[in-house]
Amino acid sequence: MASYLARRTGYMLLILTISSVVIFYALRTAPGGPSGGGVLNPLSSQEIRQAYDKRMGLDQPVYTQYFIYLGHIVRGDLGTSLANGTPIVELLGTHARNSLVLGLTALLISYVIAIPLGVLAAVKRNTWVDQLAMGGAILGMGIPNFWLALILVYFFSLRLGWLPSAGCCDPPQLILPALVLAAEGTAVTMRMTRSSMLEHLHDDFVRALRAKGLPEWQVILRHVLRNALIPVISLTGLRLGWLVGYALIVETIFRWPGVGYLLVDSVLRRDYPVAQVFSLLLIVFVLLANWFADIAYGLANPRIRVA
Amino acid sequence: MADLTVLDDKATWESRVERLWATRPSRFRDAWYELSRNKLALGGAVIVVFFTLVAIVGPALAPYDYAKQVLSDNLLPPLSKGHLLGTDELGRDLLSRLLLGIRISMAVGLGTTAIALSIGTIVGMLAGFYRGWVDRVLNGFVELIWGFPLILIAVLLIGAIGPGLTGVVIAVGFVNWAGFARIVRGDVFALREKEFVAAARALGKGDLEIMIRHLLPNVVGSALVMGSYYIAIAIIAEAALSFIGMGAQPPLPSLGQMINEGSGYMLLNHWLSTIPGIVIVLLVLGLNVLGDGLRDVFDPRLKGLG
Repeated sequence: MASYLARRTGYMLLILTISSVVIFYALRTAPGGPSGGGVLNPLSSQEIRQAYDKRMGLDQPVYTQYFIYLGHIVRGDLGTSLANGTPIVELLGTHARNSLVLGLTALLISYVIAIPLGVLAAVKRNTWVDQLAMGGAILGMGIPNFWLALILVYFFSLRLGWLPSAGCCDPPQLILPALVLAAEGTAVTMRMTRSSMLEHLHDDFVRALRAKGLPEWQVILRHVLRNALIPVISLTGLRLGWLVGYALIVETIFRWPGVGYLLVDSVLRRDYPVAQVFSLLLIVFVLLANWFADIAYGLANPRIRVA
Repeated sequence: MADLTVLDDKATWESRVERLWATRPSRFRDAWYELSRNKLALGGAVIVVFFTLVAIVGPALAPYDYAKQVLSDNLLPPLSKGHLLGTDELGRDLLSRLLLGIRISMAVGLGTTAIALSIGTIVGMLAGFYRGWVDRVLNGFVELIWGFPLILIAVLLIGAIGPGLTGVVIAVGFVNWAGFARIVRGDVFALREKEFVAAARALGKGDLEIMIRHLLPNVVGSALVMGSYYIAIAIIAEAALSFIGMGAQPPLPSLGQMINEGSGYMLLNHWLSTIPGIVIVLLVLGLNVLGDGLRDVFDPRLKGLG
């Protein structure tokens, strides 16, 4: 186990080092820069731009910039935003918290809706209940989340006036983004729960339990569901990674000040220090989530447990 | 002797051969038969064919230029005189923009998937065929990319390339090939142990010929089935990226870009966003349902599950 941990940590550090170099270079090779309209006024003169680049050290070769940057990072200095001078540590705290609140709420919503419906669809297989649930799932996977967001905003904010259309961070403002972020996960989880239930509904142990005279609901909920949930739960790690991707879109639409919103904004505005830190943060998060997924999968299925 | 005369009767013989030939077992024919009995998949196929035709001929039939602004005629509702779907905030004809938007979305979907399918098949084939360190290196890379959310990688890549459709195609293709590589690798892993591969080897065929002539035809089916899902994924990704300003740049209308432009007018002129949105949903549903149908045909074990 110790060697496994060491290997895994080494692998993650390797990926992070490579990604940090790639992202650092990539951001700087793209057309335009902080002085070319991203941060400065796009109409500012050539002299002002050059003075800005010189002051920020952006006129030096990229590798020099990288090593200076690395030096700061090693000393624990993440730098400040080029756009508004806020220390990145501060941004990190508030934005990470906002994203966690949104992501966990979405995860919770999707499980609370998907698992009961998936069980119901499996038990009532090929009835209208099943067809309705599966039809909903197909729709849930087909509707792009940003469009779903617009439609929900149209009905609940503009027409009915029940919920705010954007902003942070009161509970009413959380509802719409969380629902949108949960939509696809709900559909996928529902289909998985159903198919996993169907696989186990006719196992020998289930027949034995029925023969023993156990009430049907107990057979389903206490025995079949317990086995059927293993793959669903072990997929949570992967789901966390997917949520990061969707969060970029959903946070941007709802102006929810999370990590994804800030990353998209900083990439578009060429706010290099912010884009660097936040992209690496998300990469670490996804790597950890995938690692967690591996472990969870191994725990759920001892046959493939890692040595 | 009587039998021989029947055989000598050349016309009868030929018609018999023709009949046998016409009803010969064929994977394609079986697949078509199965597919034609699956009503849902057929519906999906109809939708996909319809939008493909629209993408090909639509822009040529468009009543107006997609970028032509008539500010006095802005924000006309659908079914207005001369503008079937109305006009946008700059007085551009929505139908004309929609037709071009469908072409752009379809082209991005097909283009990225073609790139991803080609790269993925080659990488998966090499990894599955050679195993050992080749597999460890290639598959390590595949698993790494596969584990990352598409939109995150796309946003970072577009950060490097700059916003626009080129960036979207490269980014989405770069991520999606990993999905094809995984499937092909798995298939090749199992197939290369089969007798026909051993037979080809015994006949002195080289690696390249075995891969192209014997393994490729056996893996291309499942890769193509996956293709319809990946076209859908690419269309959604392009729309999402255009929506947040990283894809198609104005005045070019991709479906996502149109939804984005309309999103500021939701309260009074919701059709600017709802119409392109409905088109995306229909297109994606069609592709997904068709994909389900194709999967049932080519991989019947999965029928009814998942």
